[in-house]
Amino acid sequence: MEKQTITIGLPRALLYYRYAPLWKTFFQELGMETVVSSPTDRDILEQGTALAIDEACLSLKIYLGHVAALVGRCDCILVPRVSNFGRHRNMCTRFESTPDLVRSVFRDSGQKFLSYEVDEELKKGEEEAFVELGKALGSTAKAAKKAYKAAKKAEAAFHKERVQKHEQLYKRENIKVLIAAHSYVIEDPYMGRAVTEYLKRAGVISLRADLVDREAALKHSRELSPTCKWEISREILGGIQQHKDDVDGIILLSAFPCGPDAMVNELITRRVKGVPMLNLVLDSQSGTAGVETRLESFIDIIRFKEGKL
Amino acid sequence: MAEAKNRSVSFPRYAEYNCAFKYIVEQALGCRYVMPPALTKRTMELGTKYSPDFVCTPFKTMLGSMIESLEAGADTLLMTHGLCRLGYYGELLEQILRDLGYQFDFINLSDYDMGKKKEYLRIVKRFNPKANPARFLTQFLEGLRMAEYVDEITGEYYKNCGFDAVPGQSRQAYQDFLTAMYTAQNRGDVEAGYRAAKRALQSVPLDKPQKPLRVGVVGEFYTAMDAFSNLELEQKLADMRVEVHRWMNVTNQFLHYGSGQKNLRVKIQDLCRYDMGPTSTANIWYARECAERGYDGIVHIKSAGCTPEIDVMPVLQNISADYKIPVLYLTYDAQTSDVGLMTRLEAFYDMIDMRKKVI
Repeated sequence: MEKQTITIGLPRALLYYRYAPLWKTFFQELGMETVVSSPTDRDILEQGTALAIDEACLSLKIYLGHVAALVGRCDCILVPRVSNFGRHRNMCTRFESTPDLVRSVFRDSGQKFLSYEVDEELKKGEEEAFVELGKALGSTAKAAKKAYKAAKKAEAAFHKERVQKHEQLYKRENIKVLIAAHSYVIEDPYMGRAVTEYLKRAGVISLRADLVDREAALKHSRELSPTCKWEISREILGGIQQHKDDVDGIILLSAFPCGPDAMVNELITRRVKGVPMLNLVLDSQSGTAGVETRLESFIDIIRFKEGKL
Repeated sequence: MAEAKNRSVSFPRYAEYNCAFKYIVEQALGCRYVMPPALTKRTMELGTKYSPDFVCTPFKTMLGSMIESLEAGADTLLMTHGLCRLGYYGELLEQILRDLGYQFDFINLSDYDMGKKKEYLRIVKRFNPKANPARFLTQFLEGLRMAEYVDEITGEYYKNCGFDAVPGQSRQAYQDFLTAMYTAQNRGDVEAGYRAAKRALQSVPLDKPQKPLRVGVVGEFYTAMDAFSNLELEQKLADMRVEVHRWMNVTNQFLHYGSGQKNLRVKIQDLCRYDMGPTSTANIWYARECAERGYDGIVHIKSAGCTPEIDVMPVLQNISADYKIPVLYLTYDAQTSDVGLMTRLEAFYDMIDMRKKVI
């Protein structure tokens, strides 16, 4: 008798941009299929906005839209709970609440959801979380462990290659702007993509503060902010600390109203001096003209400062 | 730093707990305590002016209160750690105050690993190098006892104060109690004040219907408890002759259950599998408890931008649908007006009152 393959749905939002290689390899190793929702479009954004509480951040609204797009298209949708990786290495509390939040919002849909929990402060590490996840999907602990190891390796290789390629950009001769943003903001077509594409058209090299060696970044973040408690913010802070002298300007890019960014970006503007800085908050407006006007004047300021205008 | 007795310590205004902070600072740490002035519109204006836009409102309130403490002569400010954005308040508050030019010593609990017991001793020694740990602990526990009394009496007060036969009697008893706590010098004063308040509140003649309207209050840890921040929501409800119940307070959240709250989580497993945020488990559990006890409504309070409480709302919506219990969702920011709140409360009251008569 042929065994039916399990299909796992991966919403293309929030942690997908951080964990895609890990998740895909893990499920692949266990012989399962993954289906990823298509890139954010107007429909996804509108559907997510309708499902979310008004005051939730734009990133969560988009996430709910992606979940809705996967409902009925897979056996279960992966919604992990990632709380922290240790002391002062927390995720935003939103990553603690997403599994239950999604289950509450979609409780009448009949869709199954799948979670794993990472909470190092309660001694729940990533490895055992994935072993549990594999077991819940019918694999043996041994197979799940092996799949996790392979997935971790793939994740590290992917990130390393990406960082190395990214480092090359610093050597290029042109105006360089460092963008401090969460990966799910800067890579989303309805959020950061408008910014990076505009910069490309304007002939500016856009660099990403979060594409750095993560361990080094965590250490460097302490120089800028000794008690910052968010893992992703710390990677960004570390990236800024390492590269602020290699660039002509910094763009603090966040989605409205991001909790950690509201505070960390304020701290950055107060502590990082001597480089032009633009604080750009994205909301769900349909046009990009407002963003482009601000980027244009920011680039003018950089060119003017360097005597090129 | 000068000797401990010359240190003037302050912590921002927080509900009616400043009497306990004062007791701990003066009696247990042997420092002077600077009582921050009562929160006013000026506090909020100061806080809002110097805060980032999208930070949660308690940050703005605390910044304003800290500025007023410094103006009142404090030279040492204390800030707590926390599980949500609260854990980062300290560093940003200090940076903003330093940029404004204030000079002070800042003790930020986020600098310490609060999971380790010996860190607590380091913190105590920072306030007062000559502190005797055993003596400190005794007095510290007395301060916590005071916080417990404040919670107990406050709960009793809001449950009954709307039903005074002679209006104002409960309020008088409650005010007398607070005065006793804010001026207590030793354990005897605390116990005497508590007992007097118990007697006074119990002897107030009440004119209460057999089945009064009952409303449960849930929400974010600062705004739900601080009467200034929630524009005296509990008093307003009580004045409409409603029994007001709130589980969320320092006693229940920290002193009696600790951070684990395992026994609460068991009861809501069908609603949520994990902790959704620092106070989510308690709020979800209590909201359902109110529904099961047959309360007439629930009020959910949060400040603008409070991530954990926004995320709890879908679960509360499901409770509301399952148990047919109305929930009023209130978001407070620095501009929320008294009139706007009153309009919404009156409409909510009319609705639950009508439902009660029909059902």
